[in-house]
Amino acid sequence: MDARRLPIANQIRRLRFEHGEMTQSELAEKIGMTRQTIAAIEAGKYSPSLDAAFRIAHVFGVGLDAVFQWEAEA
Amino acid sequence: MSFREKSAWITLVTVLVCFGIYFGSIAAGLVSPRGFDTLHLLLACVVGLVLLQAVLTVVAAVTTPKDCRAPRDERETLIQLRSQSLGYSVLVMLVLALFIPGHLGHTVIDMMNFALLDVVLAVLTVAVAQIVMFRRGA
Repeated sequence: MDARRLPIANQIRRLRFEHGEMTQSELAEKIGMTRQTIAAIEAGKYSPSLDAAFRIAHVFGVGLDAVFQWEAEA
Repeated sequence: MSFREKSAWITLVTVLVCFGIYFGSIAAGLVSPRGFDTLHLLLACVVGLVLLQAVLTVVAAVTTPKDCRAPRDERETLIQLRSQSLGYSVLVMLVLALFIPGHLGHTVIDMMNFALLDVVLAVLTVAVAQIVMFRRGA
């Protein structure tokens, strides 16, 4: 694992493709963020606020745990 | 590249160029640090900085029209806060270090140039920190 990678996995890329191949820009526009921020979240380089995490989950119509999973350190 | 990252690059390049010319000219002895030439050069560099930043910011806004109208999102706000916090720390340390040239008997004009250099270095620190954080993700 990349040393800078946060211990939170996410399924945003898969969920985007399951929702009509939604682009990062489209998702960003729906939740009021920039495409670069969505890319950083997807890459595990930025951990979004709880508010933003709920908004992302709301766009996909799933629960928070279907989008983000905490990866406990071994 | 987002509009905010472009803005950070614009700040970095324009400040480096304009104040590089100013401080470079003084360091190279092209202008007397105590004459009116220095004041004129400073005014020219500040006007050049403002014009250059205005033109480049318009170009950046035209190339990323959506970004420039949108308010900062939480990641951009975090990057702004972290970089300004770092820049403030650098500025405080550099201002405290001003006592060194003060004790070495520099003139008031020299001290003003050192203080200006402190501000320029703090601005550059903020711009570099923003670019690094934008590149790394946050």
